[in-house]
Amino acid sequence: MSHETDNPDASLEEQLVAYLDGELDTESNRRIEELLAADPRVRATLQGLDRTWELLDELDTTPAAEGLAQTTLEMVAVAAADEVEQVRCEAPRRRRRRLAVAGSGLLAASLAGFLAAALLRPDPNRQLLEDLPVLMNLDEYRQIDDLQFLRALHDERLFSEEDGHER
Amino acid sequence: MVVTESSARRNALADPDVRLMLQVRDDDAAAFEELVVRYQGRLVAVLGHLVGSRDQAEDLTQEVFLRVYRARKRYEAGAKFATWLFTIANNVASNALRCRSRRREITLQPRDSGPMGARPLDEMLQASSGQMPARQLDKAEARDIVRLALGALNERQRMAVLLNKFEGMCYADIAGIMELSPEAVKSLLFRARVSLREVLEPYFQHGERPAVEDGELETR
Repeated sequence: MSHETDNPDASLEEQLVAYLDGELDTESNRRIEELLAADPRVRATLQGLDRTWELLDELDTTPAAEGLAQTTLEMVAVAAADEVEQVRCEAPRRRRRRLAVAGSGLLAASLAGFLAAALLRPDPNRQLLEDLPVLMNLDEYRQIDDLQFLRALHDERLFSEEDGHER
Repeated sequence: MVVTESSARRNALADPDVRLMLQVRDDDAAAFEELVVRYQGRLVAVLGHLVGSRDQAEDLTQEVFLRVYRARKRYEAGAKFATWLFTIANNVASNALRCRSRRREITLQPRDSGPMGARPLDEMLQASSGQMPARQLDKAEARDIVRLALGALNERQRMAVLLNKFEGMCYADIAGIMELSPEAVKSLLFRARVSLREVLEPYFQHGERPAVEDGELETR
C-alpha cells in the first residue's frame, strides 16, 4: 500500500497509477476495478492520469544520427587496440618481473642451502676445541689404560682445576 | 515464488540480446555491432530526454557502449540485457548531469487542477464546444509543453518515467536499474504523473501555457 497514508486521495491515485502500469496484485486489481465501476469520479481521475501519460508520445522520437553506429564501433575498435597495446607493453615488463622473481628465488635458495649446510656440517675446528683439554693432557692419559681407573683418580680430586681436568 | 539461480539463468538465456552479449564476451565483433544497432536509438531517445540535449545524448550513448565493451569479460547472464544496459545508461546520465555546470532549472509549481476530463491530444488541438478556448493549438507548441513538463521533473522521476513509458519496463526492472525498491519506483512514478498532469492539464484544457521567467514558473 502507499506510504501516503495521511492523504487518502493521493493513496488512491497512487494505486490508480500502479493499476494503469499493470503492477497491482490480483486482489488490489479487483478492488480498484470495483471502485471504478462504482464511482465516476474515480473513473475520471483514472482517465486524466492515463491521457496525460499518453501525451508523452508527442515527444520527439527522431532516430539516432546516421553514422552514429559506425562512429561508435570505430571508437570501440580504438579502445580494443589500446587494450592490445597495453597488454603488449606489459609483456616485457612481466618477463623482466618474472626473471627478477626467479633470480631472487635462486639467491634465496642458495642462501638457505648455505646456512643449512653451515648448521648441519660438523666443524672440525669446533671438534678440536672441544677436545682441547684432553689434548693438553694427552701424555698423562696415555699412561692410563683403564678409563674406570681414570674416573677413580678424578673422584679422588687428584687433578686440580688449574689443569683443566675439572668437568 | 522463489526464482532459483538456474531458472533465472534460463530465463536470461531466452533473451536473444543476452545471447548476443555472451558472444560479445567472447570477442565477437559482429554481435557487438548488432547490439549497437538494436539499442542506440532507444538509448539516444531516453538519454536525450534525460539530459535535454540530443548531441550530448549521442555522446553518452557512445560512452554506454564503450563501457559495455570494457565490461564484457565480466558479463554474466543473470538478468535481461536491457536491464543491465540501462543500468549503465542511468549511471552515465547521472554522472553527466552531476558534472554539468549549473543550468537554469525550470521549476513548475503545482496549480489547482481544473475539472477532470482530459482529452487526447488531437482533440485538444481542435477548437471544440464552449468548454474549450477557441484558440488553435500548434502541435509543435504542444510538443514543447510536454517537453517542458518532462524537464520539470527531477532526474529520478524523469528516468523512471522514460524507462516505464518508452522502454516498457516494469517497476522491478526499473528498481534494479535505479537501485531503488519497487515501492520507491511506484512512488516516483505516481508523483511524476501527478506533476505532469498538473502542468499539462491546464494547458490542454484551457490553453494555459506555463509561464517561465528566469527559470522559475510564475506562481499565481
